[in-house]
Amino acid sequence: MNNPPDIIKRGGKRPSEVFKQEKLHGSIRAACLSVRSPEGEAETIAKNVCDAVIAWLETKPEVTSSDLRRKATSVLDSFHPEAAYLYKHHQLII
Amino acid sequence: MDIISSLAIVAFAALIHASFQLSVSMLTLLSGHAIGAKTGHMKLLRLTNGFLLGVALMTMLLLCLVLQHSFGNQVPYLVWAIACGLVLGLGIAVWSFYYRKEKGTSLWLPRGLARYLGERAKATKQSGEAFGLGLSSVIAELIFIFAPMAISSLVLIQLEPTMQLAGIALYTFVSLLSLLIVSGLIGSGHRLSRIQKWREDNKRFLQFASGSGLLILGFYVYVDQIVTATTLARGGF
Repeated sequence: MNNPPDIIKRGGKRPSEVFKQEKLHGSIRAACLSVRSPEGEAETIAKNVCDAVIAWLETKPEVTSSDLRRKATSVLDSFHPEAAYLYKHHQLII
Repeated sequence: MDIISSLAIVAFAALIHASFQLSVSMLTLLSGHAIGAKTGHMKLLRLTNGFLLGVALMTMLLLCLVLQHSFGNQVPYLVWAIACGLVLGLGIAVWSFYYRKEKGTSLWLPRGLARYLGERAKATKQSGEAFGLGLSSVIAELIFIFAPMAISSLVLIQLEPTMQLAGIALYTFVSLLSLLIVSGLIGSGHRLSRIQKWREDNKRFLQFASGSGLLILGFYVYVDQIVTATTLARGGF
C-alpha cells in the first residue's frame, strides 16, 4: 500500500494511527484459530481478508476503527462465518 | 430449619450465583485468546483450571468471611429482613440491567473496567495469572453475588460445624457448575463461537431466571424466617 490511511480510534479519545496490515492480519488469523481452523486455512483467510480490505481502503484518506472492523467482518463472513461472528463480537463478550 | 431445607436453600442460592455470567465471559475470553495464540492443549487446560481454582478459592473465602462475621447461632430478625430486602432488590436489578441493551453478551460493568478485564484476559499467559484472574472475576461481580452468599451464610451459621463445611463445599461446587460446563466444552474441542452464540441467544432467559430466582429466594426466606417465626411466637408456640 503506497499511502496507508489513518485509523481513527473508537470514541476519538486515543490518537489515530496509520493502518498496519500485519495488525489486521494477526487479528483475523487469531479469530480463525480461535474457532479451531487449521493454521494454513487461517493464514489463507487472513491474507484474503487483508487484500479485500486494502482494496477498499485505497481511495480513503482515513477511516474509523469501527468501519474497518465492520468491513473486515463482512469480508471474513464470506470465508468463515463462525470466525466472523467471534471477530465481530469480540469486544462485546464482557 | 432442618438440614435438608438449609442445604436446599444453599444449593438454590449457589445455582443463582452460577447463573451470573462475568466469570463465564472472562473464561471465554481467556480461552479465545489462548487458542488464537496457538497455545497447546495442555497449557490451555492449565490456564482454564487455574482460572477455575481462583474462582473456587475466592468464592469459598468470601463465604467463610461472611460466615465468620455472622451473628452466632441465632440470627436477629432485622438481619434476615435486611438480607431478604437485599436479595429482592438485586432480583429487580438483575431484571433491569444485568445485560446491556446491545448485541453480544455485554454486562452491566462500567466499560473501562470491562476493557481492563478483557486486556488482562488477553495478557494472561501463565496459570498463576489465570488463577489471579479467577480471583478478581469473583471480586468484580461481588455486587450481585453478595446477596445469595449472605443468605447462604445466614442459613449455614445455624448448622453444626461439619454441616457448615459441607454447605460451603456444596455452595462452591454448585456456583462453579456453569464454569465447569464451559471449561469442559472448551477442553473437549468445542468451538468458542458456538458457546458464545448459545450464550447470546439465551442471555435474556438467563437474566430472567437469575432475577426470578433471587425474588423467589428472598420471598421464601422472608416467609420462612420472619413471617412463620413471628406468627408462631404470637401464637405462643
